[in-house]
Amino acid sequence: MIDLRNVSKRFGGMTVIDRVNLSVEEGEFIVFVGPSGCGKSTLLRMIAGLEDISSGDLWIGGERMTDAEPYDRGVAMVFQSYALYPHMTVAENMGFALRIQGVGAAERRRMVEAAATKLHLDHLLDRKPAALSGGQRQRVAIGRAIVRDPKVFLFDEPLSNLDAELRVQMRIEIARLHQSLSNTMVYVTHDQTEAMTLADRIVVLRAGRIEQVGRPTDLYDDPDNIFVAGFIGSPRMNFLPGVATGPASIRVAGVDVQVPGLGTRLAREQAVQVGLRPEHLTAPEGVELPLAIEVVEQLGAMAYVHGSLAPEAPVVAEWRAGRPSVGERVPLRFHPRDLRLFDPEGRRIR
Amino acid sequence: MAAVGKRERRWLWIAAIPMALLALSCIYPIVFAINNALKTSKGYILDRFGMVTDPTVQNFADAWGRARFSEYFVNSVLVTAGAVGLLLLLSSLVGFALAMLRFPFRRLVFVAILGALMIPIQVVLVPFYRTVEGLGLLNTRVGLVLAYTAFFLPFSIYLMTAFYRGLPRELLEAARMDGARFLEVWWHVMLPLGRPALLTLGILNTLYCWNDVLISLLVLQDRRTLMVGIAALRGEYTTNVPLLAAGIVLAAAPIVLVYLVFQRRIVGGISVGAVKG
Repeated sequence: MIDLRNVSKRFGGMTVIDRVNLSVEEGEFIVFVGPSGCGKSTLLRMIAGLEDISSGDLWIGGERMTDAEPYDRGVAMVFQSYALYPHMTVAENMGFALRIQGVGAAERRRMVEAAATKLHLDHLLDRKPAALSGGQRQRVAIGRAIVRDPKVFLFDEPLSNLDAELRVQMRIEIARLHQSLSNTMVYVTHDQTEAMTLADRIVVLRAGRIEQVGRPTDLYDDPDNIFVAGFIGSPRMNFLPGVATGPASIRVAGVDVQVPGLGTRLAREQAVQVGLRPEHLTAPEGVELPLAIEVVEQLGAMAYVHGSLAPEAPVVAEWRAGRPSVGERVPLRFHPRDLRLFDPEGRRIR
Repeated sequence: MAAVGKRERRWLWIAAIPMALLALSCIYPIVFAINNALKTSKGYILDRFGMVTDPTVQNFADAWGRARFSEYFVNSVLVTAGAVGLLLLLSSLVGFALAMLRFPFRRLVFVAILGALMIPIQVVLVPFYRTVEGLGLLNTRVGLVLAYTAFFLPFSIYLMTAFYRGLPRELLEAARMDGARFLEVWWHVMLPLGRPALLTLGILNTLYCWNDVLISLLVLQDRRTLMVGIAALRGEYTTNVPLLAAGIVLAAAPIVLVYLVFQRRIVGGISVGAVKG
């Protein structure tokens, strides 16, 4: 449905999107994530036609759209700030695109009402945006996109202005909407929970380049590099300095560990970064590392315990047994299969 | 706190006295004009500053008919309406373009317009007159409409640009995504949203155009506007002050009415663009 071929964006001498290649399948829900300034919103705006493409090609639905005007691309966009027209009612906002297309008032009303029903906005159609709550405004913004029946929906951090509870609700609504409409959706967020829960595939961006594309669980379980490993997952993956002691063995935090299933032979004394997820540090059996608890984040059903296994090697572990307390020494246990190894440049060693 | 309040109140009173005197000096000419417009010539000569004892509206009738104020009034209305309409249309379009669209030399254009704001009208009067004459627009209402538009456009554009810059750019982008061309974005989104600024601008430009003497005197030499008509009521050796006062009241009445109805918006409009909306 969407093909980005070697797409770049330059502002003056600065390259903000660097030779991006990506194919989005029809009906797919794809999420762009990355830290602030990584270019995820710029890439979305380039697909929308709101930013020019400096080089490369964009194809949508089999047609070359690199230089097409936004309204000729068959895409609709939901903005972070909602961007509702303040002088128009909800119905007028939702029907604006149809009005521009020359759709008659009666037909327009029918289409707006159909979209409003889907989004539970029926009773708000005659209100102005100023008289709506944040969640209602966001639904109107989504409704405005639905009414156009576009080939592709683009969402630019649509939930970031909502409070935590409403964000969860809207997230579920967007997921339902995708299931019912089955349109292609491209969604930008810096919230990895949104990315993990909504996406069919996640695109992780850093400094204008794609670091990895994959299903959420693939990115979580099998990251290509230390950036993706650290970015996906909350709390983030722990990274400990280690050194190879043999072709498939390492020493980390003073303990020798045999790494199973390693395809690469490690060179003796080779420096490695050892990645371990917080939930993998409380295995019932496995390699044991003693930890003095420095901070406890109690969440009720579980706690996150913070401490250090080595100088400049802080770790966080997910703790579900009992109520840990600060100063307590506890054993962390992990299974060697849960280790992820990275070379000093951050590339994954598989 | 109470002691501070008292001291503050005392200072307020001290400040109020010069302000009251200032207000009086503004109000007195109005009272003088209305008072003398109701006097006969004889009544005025006998008592210039006293209150009218035998009021008459004959001076208003004379000004409207004999002094051709009815004709001047029509000229003023047509020229002011034409110029203000054109100013609003152009300033809204240009303001939208300068604030929202990206095109080469956009900043330079804006700086040039700001530069035009700094040039006093008097400095360009001779080339202006030659241009109007050369275009065959002398003694035409169209000429005066265009002249007002040219002179008041820089300020109008500045105000509208400042206003539109305060609006979120996403509105333009959303409208573009909805299929609107730039002119449609302006017509359906920017023009309605610019209404508060346009209303303010309309009032201010109405005041400028209606009250102008200098430009009007140069362009409409045969067919006068109201303010030029009033100036012409002054004779070289004698002046019929009650007739002149009646003319002043007639000329000022519509504009005072506009001011009274829209005064809140005029004050509000002065701060447009001062802070980001």
